[in-house]
Amino acid sequence: MSRFLPRLVLTLVVVITTYPFVWMGLSSFKSNREIYQPAQLLPEAFDPFAYHLLLSGEFIDFYGVLFRSIMLAGCQAFLACLITAGAGFALAKGRFRGKAMIGVAALIVILYPKQAMSLSLFEWMVSRGMNGNLYGFMLSGVASGLGVIFFTKVFQNIPDELIDLARVEGESLLRSFFGFLPLVKPALITYWILHFLLCWQEHLLPLLLLGSEQLTLPLALAKLSDSSYRIPEAVGLAAGVLSMVPIFFLFGYFFRRIRSALSEWVVS
Amino acid sequence: MPGFQSKRCSESLTSLLLLIGPFLACWVFFWLMPLIGGVELAMEDSAQTVLNQSDDSRPGDLQNFKRILEDRKFIRSLENTSIFVGSSVFITLSLGFFLASVIRSLNTSIRPIFLFLLIVPSLALPGTLATLFYLFFHGKSGALNQFLIIPLGFEPINWMMDTDWILPCLIAQAVWRWTGLITLLIYCGLRTIPKWQFDVARIEGASPWTVIRTILYPGVRHLLLFGGIFLGVDGVASFSGAYNLLGGSGGVLDAGLLFVTYAYQVAFPGGGGRFDLPLASAMCVTVAMLTTFFGLFILKICKKRDAIL
Repeated sequence: MSRFLPRLVLTLVVVITTYPFVWMGLSSFKSNREIYQPAQLLPEAFDPFAYHLLLSGEFIDFYGVLFRSIMLAGCQAFLACLITAGAGFALAKGRFRGKAMIGVAALIVILYPKQAMSLSLFEWMVSRGMNGNLYGFMLSGVASGLGVIFFTKVFQNIPDELIDLARVEGESLLRSFFGFLPLVKPALITYWILHFLLCWQEHLLPLLLLGSEQLTLPLALAKLSDSSYRIPEAVGLAAGVLSMVPIFFLFGYFFRRIRSALSEWVVS
Repeated sequence: MPGFQSKRCSESLTSLLLLIGPFLACWVFFWLMPLIGGVELAMEDSAQTVLNQSDDSRPGDLQNFKRILEDRKFIRSLENTSIFVGSSVFITLSLGFFLASVIRSLNTSIRPIFLFLLIVPSLALPGTLATLFYLFFHGKSGALNQFLIIPLGFEPINWMMDTDWILPCLIAQAVWRWTGLITLLIYCGLRTIPKWQFDVARIEGASPWTVIRTILYPGVRHLLLFGGIFLGVDGVASFSGAYNLLGGSGGVLDAGLLFVTYAYQVAFPGGGGRFDLPLASAMCVTVAMLTTFFGLFILKICKKRDAIL
């Protein structure tokens, strides 16, 4: 009995959490009339008209938006991984003055709300002529404080003896870093996916920094749900379903590695 | 030998620069310089920078900071944001801790299934969550009224139009979004607690509450702090969910007006409004600085900064 009640609550929470997504998937085949009856789960007919409308490019260039979002999030996550892993390795294993200062700089990046920085960043990018520049937007999110702190902890788990051995053999810190990267592969994959997710979900920065022809998925979804465009609700739901596919695949495929990397990270 | 040592020294300096340099360069170019620019912008005279100049504009310097303190809508947005952050952080952490504890007690083969199902909302775009919230939960025939309010014998609630319920809806949306990821993080922490501690507790006949108080909570306290700070900072900066759910407004009587939404409204108003970037920048700088100092203060109090760094 003492275990039954918490497990019942867990099951209820899981159902409440996931049921709306099942409803969303099925409702992407419904008409507006059916969608406005949320108690109805199954559509009267599985008509994929919303997917046809969405992919036909009548409202937005969905393929272009999807490709742009994947490229921006993927490349930014890759660069952030490389840069923050390097800084994390130097903080964990390097011996130099000013380590604490760099740690504090990374911490402040975490504590300073990113969206509150958007306006300043927008002004800065405009003054540098980088507004509407995809590369500028990509680079703007690379200096991740979370990444530096994550990788500092990850590299602290590598025994110092291995680093000392590499030093004795004449390896520089940089070569040691590239040599040790395969040892932290699960952490690299985990951070890449987490950064990909955060960039993927970013709304305000692309709204300010990118042009109206450079929509990312959050902006496209906001446009599709804008009532002034009179777009069938099913089209927005279909976009919601398709937008979840890449990230769902990434998390599903690497879920075990993510759990093991997070467990190693939290124990350190 | 001195030549060899100096060569090694310059090699290690080059290595360090190549390892840390890219991060520092990006940090300076995309964080520090915009921050300084933001402070400078906040001190500019609004009348000289807005597109539609107004006669009643006053000189720059700290005037914009004084103006935001007199702005009742800004104060309202801060109150809403504080309630939003406090409530969503508390509920998400409590629920995440409870769910992670229950999942830890399950058979190992089914734990990943529950964990994965719980993180599904974290994987969705905030705009998708807002659309789902509006279409599925909201409305007289929505799930909240049909499955919760009406069965309990109450009158149906018009969630997004009732000023008492707009903010709770935003909080519910944030809890829905983040609980899964926080549960996963806490579960990973619980997994690392040595099994012998639970064996000792069982032999001693400890109650479930004692196990929570003496084993589970101390084992993940640093993660709760980390999760709380992450959620708190994200909550202060919350934009997308409220923007999609309320169509860029603060809802009826600004009952759901959050700080970033208001700053965005001031900076980029629709229609014939004035683009008051200096005032919006003053708002952003003030709130972000306060949040940062508050976060550092909490870390100092908890003496856990080293545990995170």
